[in-house]
Amino acid sequence: MRGFFGRNAFPLAVFAVAIAFLGLFFLLPLLKVFGASILDASGKHFTLANYTSVLSNRFFLNGLINSLGIAAAAAVCTVLIGVPFAFCLARLPIGGKAALLALAALPLVLPSFVSAYALVLLFGRSGIVTGALQALGIPFESIYGPKGIIVVYTLTLYPYIVLPVTAAFKSIDVSVEEAAQNLGASRARMLRTVTLPLVLPSVLAGALLVFIEALENFGVPFVLAEDRPILSVEAYKLFVGETTDNPASAGVLGMLLIVCTVAALLFQRSVLARRNFATGARRSAPVLSVGPALGRLGATYCWLVVGAALVPFVAVVVISFMPFSGPVLRTGFSFGNFVQLFERSYRPLTNTLMLATLAACGAMLIGVPIGYVVTRHRSRLSALIDIVATSPFAVAGTVLGIGLVMAFSSGFLILTGTWLIMVFAYMVRKLPFSVRSASAILHQIDPSLEEASINLGVPPALTFLRITIPLMLGGIVGGFVLTFVTVASELSSTVVLYSGPWTTMTVAMFQALEGTSAGVAAAAATVLIICTILPVALVYRLLRRHELSML
Amino acid sequence: MTAITIEGVARTFGAVRAVDDVSIAVRDGEFFTLLGPSGCGKTTLLRMVAGFCELDTGRILFGDERIDTLPPHKRNTGMVFQNYAVFPNVTVGGNVAYGLRARKVRADEIRERVARALKLVQLDGFAERWPHQLSGGQLQRVAIARAIVIEPHVLLLDEPLSNLDAKLRVEMRGEIRQLQKLLGITVLYVTHDQEEALAISDRVAVMRAGRVEQIASPRDIYERPMTPFVASFVGTTNLLNGVIGAREGDAAEVVVAGTTLRLTGVHGNAGGKLTLSMRPEALRLLSPGEVAPARYVTLTGTLGEVEYLGPVTRFGVMLADGTVLHLMALMPPAASGQVTVAFDPQRVVALGAPA
Repeated sequence: MRGFFGRNAFPLAVFAVAIAFLGLFFLLPLLKVFGASILDASGKHFTLANYTSVLSNRFFLNGLINSLGIAAAAAVCTVLIGVPFAFCLARLPIGGKAALLALAALPLVLPSFVSAYALVLLFGRSGIVTGALQALGIPFESIYGPKGIIVVYTLTLYPYIVLPVTAAFKSIDVSVEEAAQNLGASRARMLRTVTLPLVLPSVLAGALLVFIEALENFGVPFVLAEDRPILSVEAYKLFVGETTDNPASAGVLGMLLIVCTVAALLFQRSVLARRNFATGARRSAPVLSVGPALGRLGATYCWLVVGAALVPFVAVVVISFMPFSGPVLRTGFSFGNFVQLFERSYRPLTNTLMLATLAACGAMLIGVPIGYVVTRHRSRLSALIDIVATSPFAVAGTVLGIGLVMAFSSGFLILTGTWLIMVFAYMVRKLPFSVRSASAILHQIDPSLEEASINLGVPPALTFLRITIPLMLGGIVGGFVLTFVTVASELSSTVVLYSGPWTTMTVAMFQALEGTSAGVAAAAATVLIICTILPVALVYRLLRRHELSML
Repeated sequence: MTAITIEGVARTFGAVRAVDDVSIAVRDGEFFTLLGPSGCGKTTLLRMVAGFCELDTGRILFGDERIDTLPPHKRNTGMVFQNYAVFPNVTVGGNVAYGLRARKVRADEIRERVARALKLVQLDGFAERWPHQLSGGQLQRVAIARAIVIEPHVLLLDEPLSNLDAKLRVEMRGEIRQLQKLLGITVLYVTHDQEEALAISDRVAVMRAGRVEQIASPRDIYERPMTPFVASFVGTTNLLNGVIGAREGDAAEVVVAGTTLRLTGVHGNAGGKLTLSMRPEALRLLSPGEVAPARYVTLTGTLGEVEYLGPVTRFGVMLADGTVLHLMALMPPAASGQVTVAFDPQRVVALGAPA
């Protein structure tokens, strides 16, 4: 009896809430998408016709090839940029490492489609740089299409490689490298045969995240793809019905996206299964002593990468304060774009702040207890919850949005068009992160602290409040802020789920892009950048410890 | 204070019987140690007494009161953890006061008792410090003060010294023993260090694979081990296989390494096999020309490896049948080549049939 009501009541309650929440707002929508893809127009009979018609359509087939090709290229490019960056940061004697790491992590919280939009403003058809080059008679190739998309992904997703690989370089024990040198390997040979192979699992883990993020991203291809098909965008167009409303084909594209992600996950697992290199450094390998020339080269490289990634955001902010006449940019200083943006209503901004706050609260409220149970009460059930709670990251936002609309526009619970459905979508999408960040903090808190408190006479529930929560607080606040800022810059599920009164800042920018109000879009982008940078800067000291857990 | 009665306690994790039908009676005010290699179930047993591990079968009593059905926070035990588990977000004084606050003790009494407890562990004046300002040894003292200040029924210590360096370990174990005698408290102490167990305990239970092999005083554990495992785990020993010859009551002739000994305390029938334990320091190497004392038995062999250890010297002697005896003496051996080993048969322990 004691066991049931005492120590097991809490995990059971958490399981019940987690299952109910994820079942309703994650698994049910996915099931609906799957259902739409395998049922005929009447919605009653099983058919594979939807799949054959989509896969025999050249346009959609190209979409599949484009999506996969771009995601793979983005993964390769981020590895090529990120691994040397991580190596410089971890092993070369360069100055300002803390600043470099902070700036390198920044693109993770900034909205990537803002970077894409900046590219259009600078290098697009009527872009500033394009114009200047043309005036000089230098021809400039178009940045639209896969090329531009890959460039944006590389510049915005490379932190997914840099953060884990830097940590991996630092976790190599010095003795392993010393052993290689003692056995007669030169330093170059040691790096090639010992150091690099040891960080390979982290490289692959990061590359997988880049691949998934690139596959599911909606905003960047929306800005840059023009008429070339990209799966996540086409699914949205089919569902919202620019031409004809076609949920069956949208369902097929959604399922294709999920299959690609799962295939990539399985591929990574099978590669990593044979390589388990947990060395657990007692003493990290030291910074290499290299000549000043090589050190300067490394520093230059790092600052160039960080600069290239952040220049688009800075450019957008600068441009947002310049006057536009129609789509044409003029020199000068003006608040005109912001006036135009907020002329009609402040609602997009207040909506963004409110929805992001609610979603962050909700994600922490559900995610922290799940993280606690998964870490502290090991069982088959908690392992299952861990898998289900962290799998939303592999589902594209547009697909989840489409599923939520399918599940909740009729029947026992009607949520379509409300702010609630947006909050639920955000909570599901950010749940993996809140679970992971909570369990990462808990791994650093020794369970015997809780046992000591109970042993001294404080019941488990009170112990959780008095000891566990205070020790987790820094991490919880950090997790809250990161959830808040990533929700604030979320576009892919928002664009499917929003309704008029619940327009967010990202949607306002999206709408301005669809029209010709370049100035308004730039102003909206600047507001978004402020909304994300400001909270992160405020709690930066807390966040530093948790940079890795958000991966 | 309180006696602890552990009756027929068992716990299985998956296919592993972590604790397998253990019964122990710890007397009131006794310093009782659970000793064994890692994975023998000693920590699981301690955690059962504290309430952090549930029992499959059996029961645990403090005095006459059954406590294994109580939740851990109602058992009034003071536990000292291997890694101290000092709350990092609370001052030293706050840590020591934590259990008293949970017991709703008056504020002025808390202040007085915290000061007294800190004085007992030689940390007076440390109440306002933060844990991160303290050394490992000081953190251990805070953990002990925090556990004794609540005046627990029993004090539970889980390898409390294993994170300290060797010198501090010896110092701290003396202090823990003194404190226990001063307070007259019942202590259940877990360690894998046999020297620590012998030095500090009233009685020791040697555990192996979830079972208790022997419960006895430190001296009996060392000098009168009852199983080959106890004999070899506690200190070092020579284990030799022998055959029982003619019996005469409790005494019997035993043939071992080609020599016949007359031993007492031999169990088993004539013709049966048994294992004998001979401690290295019970064996003496005779100097050339020296005659063995009366009653002593002698064996001859070849002197092998000699290890000079400072206070003592260890060396091996290979007997004619290939058995190697390990010896320990204060002085390095004067002889070489063919040597004679002499020993008092009364210091040989018969352990029953070999496994």
